[in-house]
Amino acid sequence: MTASVSLYIHIPFCRKRCSYCSFVSYAGRLGDIAKYMQAVENEISQRIDGRQLKSVYFGGGTPSLVPARYIKSLMESISRYFPKSGKTEVSLEANPCTIDNTCLKALLNAGINRLSIGLQSLDDGELSTLGRLHNSQQALEAVKHARSAGFDNINLDLIYGIPGQTVSSWEQTLREAVNLSPEHLSLYGLSLEPGTLMMELIESGALPQLNPDLSADQYELAEEILEEEGYRHYEISNWAKPGYECRHNLVYWNRGEYIGAGTGASSYLGGRRYNNTSSLDKYLEEALAGKTISIENDEIISPELASAEAAILSLRLDEGIDMEKYNRDYCTDILSVYNKQITELEGYGLIQNDGVYIKLTPRGRLLGNEVFWRFLPELTGETNLHRVATE
Amino acid sequence: MNQDSIRNFCIIAHIDHGKSTLADRLIEIAGGMKRAKVTEQVMDSMELERERGITIKAKAVRLDYKNRAGSRFRLNLIDTPGHVDFSYEVSRTLVACEGAVLVIDATQGIQAQTLANIYIAMEHNLAVIPVINKIDLPGSEPERVMEEIVSVLGYKASETFLISAKTGQGVPELVEAIIERIPPPGGNLELPLRALIFDSHYDDYRGVIAYLRVVDGMLKKGSKVHLMGEGTQMEVLDLGYFAPDPTPAESLQAGEVGYIATGLKSVAECRVGDTVTITPGGASEPLIGYDLPKPMVYAGIYPTQADDYADLREAIEKLNLNDASLTFEPEASPILGQGFRCGFLGLLHLDIVVERLEREFSLSLVVTVPGVKFLVTKTSGEILELTSPVDFPDPSEISKIEEPWVRISVVTPSFFIGALMEVMQEFEGEYRQTEYLGQFTALGEGGQRVRLEYDMPLRSMLTTFYDYLKSRSRGYASLDHELLGYREAKLVKLDVLVNDLKVDAFSRIIPPEKAHEIGKAVVAKLKESIPRQLFKIPLQAAIGGRIVAREDISARRKDVLAKCYGGDITRKRKLLEKQKEGKKKMKMIGQVEVPKEAFLSIMKLG
Repeated sequence: MTASVSLYIHIPFCRKRCSYCSFVSYAGRLGDIAKYMQAVENEISQRIDGRQLKSVYFGGGTPSLVPARYIKSLMESISRYFPKSGKTEVSLEANPCTIDNTCLKALLNAGINRLSIGLQSLDDGELSTLGRLHNSQQALEAVKHARSAGFDNINLDLIYGIPGQTVSSWEQTLREAVNLSPEHLSLYGLSLEPGTLMMELIESGALPQLNPDLSADQYELAEEILEEEGYRHYEISNWAKPGYECRHNLVYWNRGEYIGAGTGASSYLGGRRYNNTSSLDKYLEEALAGKTISIENDEIISPELASAEAAILSLRLDEGIDMEKYNRDYCTDILSVYNKQITELEGYGLIQNDGVYIKLTPRGRLLGNEVFWRFLPELTGETNLHRVATE
Repeated sequence: MNQDSIRNFCIIAHIDHGKSTLADRLIEIAGGMKRAKVTEQVMDSMELERERGITIKAKAVRLDYKNRAGSRFRLNLIDTPGHVDFSYEVSRTLVACEGAVLVIDATQGIQAQTLANIYIAMEHNLAVIPVINKIDLPGSEPERVMEEIVSVLGYKASETFLISAKTGQGVPELVEAIIERIPPPGGNLELPLRALIFDSHYDDYRGVIAYLRVVDGMLKKGSKVHLMGEGTQMEVLDLGYFAPDPTPAESLQAGEVGYIATGLKSVAECRVGDTVTITPGGASEPLIGYDLPKPMVYAGIYPTQADDYADLREAIEKLNLNDASLTFEPEASPILGQGFRCGFLGLLHLDIVVERLEREFSLSLVVTVPGVKFLVTKTSGEILELTSPVDFPDPSEISKIEEPWVRISVVTPSFFIGALMEVMQEFEGEYRQTEYLGQFTALGEGGQRVRLEYDMPLRSMLTTFYDYLKSRSRGYASLDHELLGYREAKLVKLDVLVNDLKVDAFSRIIPPEKAHEIGKAVVAKLKESIPRQLFKIPLQAAIGGRIVAREDISARRKDVLAKCYGGDITRKRKLLEKQKEGKKKMKMIGQVEVPKEAFLSIMKLG
């Protein structure tokens, strides 16, 4: 067991579902917020294990819809449940149209020390394509409010590859965002899952098809601009000023343990990964009655899978796979187990091996999936990895 | 039963003109079957047959019927396949009957294949009862179709029935007419046994079951018999008839129709068209000249995954037990690995075989471009019979190429003549004649109906010809063809290179003047169906060393997942697992992953 653990809290409420969203979220259930926060506290109180807290992350949904006083009360409980652990990173995702000066100050006061604002774009047409409720003016103001309220660690989420978005409109959004001097930027290439509204609009021809080549151009432009501006490209989709890397997300990428609280939240503890029930009603009922929350997708991560995931997740980071550490952690020899894959991927120019680290090349960052799937074990039968590990 | 009370007949109809529905109605009315039991079309038993609306295998059903005068009759209805690929089987079925009900759709009129079949019926002196079906449909034009029947086929309006097989209207009268107008069998019970096999299928428990019509003499359980064509010796293990379920009987006499269980291991030993006679002391002359249906179309069939070769062999062998007209021999391709070069009666037959292999044996297959059998004379004087473009010698070694030609018959409303003549020309057709069918102008179809006759290389007909024929005539034209023989041809081999690797499965034999056009179409199709990969892929079409068309598939630039949201690593991993699984369904051509669909799209291009 690791010395510390992270805590993810899912807030599933939204005023309206965005057209590209496939996460667990509920529109039109705002009346349940008070009950829900109580339910989350109940759940957390059952799941404490005496470990220190490494980070807390309020994700959604729209966490900023929750009145600050509930966040404050939950944070107070959390600090009672978990032993003191110095300065813990506490992030909260905020939607630009849900935050004003007062509530921002209250959130800061409640213990939130990192604010992640879902800007997505600074082009009003693109924001409406995405089905966002805010416009670019509100977005810019939200960031300014956050600064003046006293937040000194701000992330901005931006989306590229939006139908109708061009390289130059993306450049404009990006430059305006950089002018706000955020400590951290997350840039997401739009990818759609079946069943989302936007997917249907594209299939019906109401919106143009996603264009991966255009997305690639936009990504490369972002890499260039953000490097000039002094951001470190520390993960495929994430850039930060030195020292402002998101500690919570690093826990995921380093295969650290985390407790996921709230409906649909994912946990990874003791080699098991699972989700809480994605049904809000079921969650409320169980948590408020003090029962154990039903879980979904319960999975014991086998040694083969663990080492494959470690390779994949490490490759997402700029430093890549530290081979010596990897071999030690997973009792293996990465260069012999993945010899074929590594040779092939080097041949395609997707990864490079400097003798200490294996990392993605710039091209590999754009074609990560082609690298990652090759590290997955065969779904049936014994893998080489397993044999080496048990010898 | 006395032969005078027996009537053996079949139904001749173009696809979708309502043969199976009429069969059901006859079974219901004459056989006394409850309507509920006939809800599914009884005579099309194979799943595929029902889906495609065609009958692949002929079957027979015995109906015991008391006519209006109160006499008892036994009607044997023999079902016929409705597609030109199976015309050999149709002709054997007709020989087993004394009469035929000719069904013509009141909304469409006479079609090309109807004509071909009616000529066979006339040749064998069958009593024909013309029937206009679907008179209940709003778009039906019974007067116009009647006029076609009278003027083209020479039947009288007074002897033609207007029916709706769907509602049953007119069908009871038709049954009465079958008894009045179709003569009884008239074979001789005293002569040595002669029975014609008009269908057979393989049964896992009882071996080959042969469907036959006894013409002379008698068949009994335990009879020792032999086949006059194939020479096969066998014993009648069991016999009976269908009513419509199999019903065992003691004997089948001259004039009767039924089945025998032979215990034989393959239908190749007991083929359609052969004459069964008694051993010893059998008949001296067979009922009809026995020849085998010859494959007209050839294609390579390969498993997508090399590991499945053994399974594919087993599947083809098993299918062959039931389908003697399918031929196959092992073939090795440098790109596709181990597979089979198979021969088929036609494109539909190919489609059916591939679909059955995939569906019934859960195989994933790659099928190469269908082609014909070429006769290639080398400069050395040696003559090669080639069914695969891969085997073509170097052009410098070829002195002569011959290819099979067919005579095609297209029936169409005259409105489309111009467009269709253009299609024929594009597909190397040589004009022979135009024949007008009937005097009336069809209401909805644009003009009087005509039959166009052309000669054409079979090779040309195997391409997109049929699709063009249908689209340029808005679906109205129907097609029939018969083999003419071999003619000399000027042809070259078009090769396709994927990432500089020659892919034999895509090679085809074409006229040199079409090299550029076809080459362009092929590489364009491949560009559409091969997904972008990690490197640029040149696609080239070449005649010998000369490149006639080229397209490039540019390298893929972006394919990466966003962050693992909220720690949901499992969900992202599942997406990657799906991607990995998808790769397994690909056929590797060198480093290039080619989806099955690419082979299919090239095959459909013809």
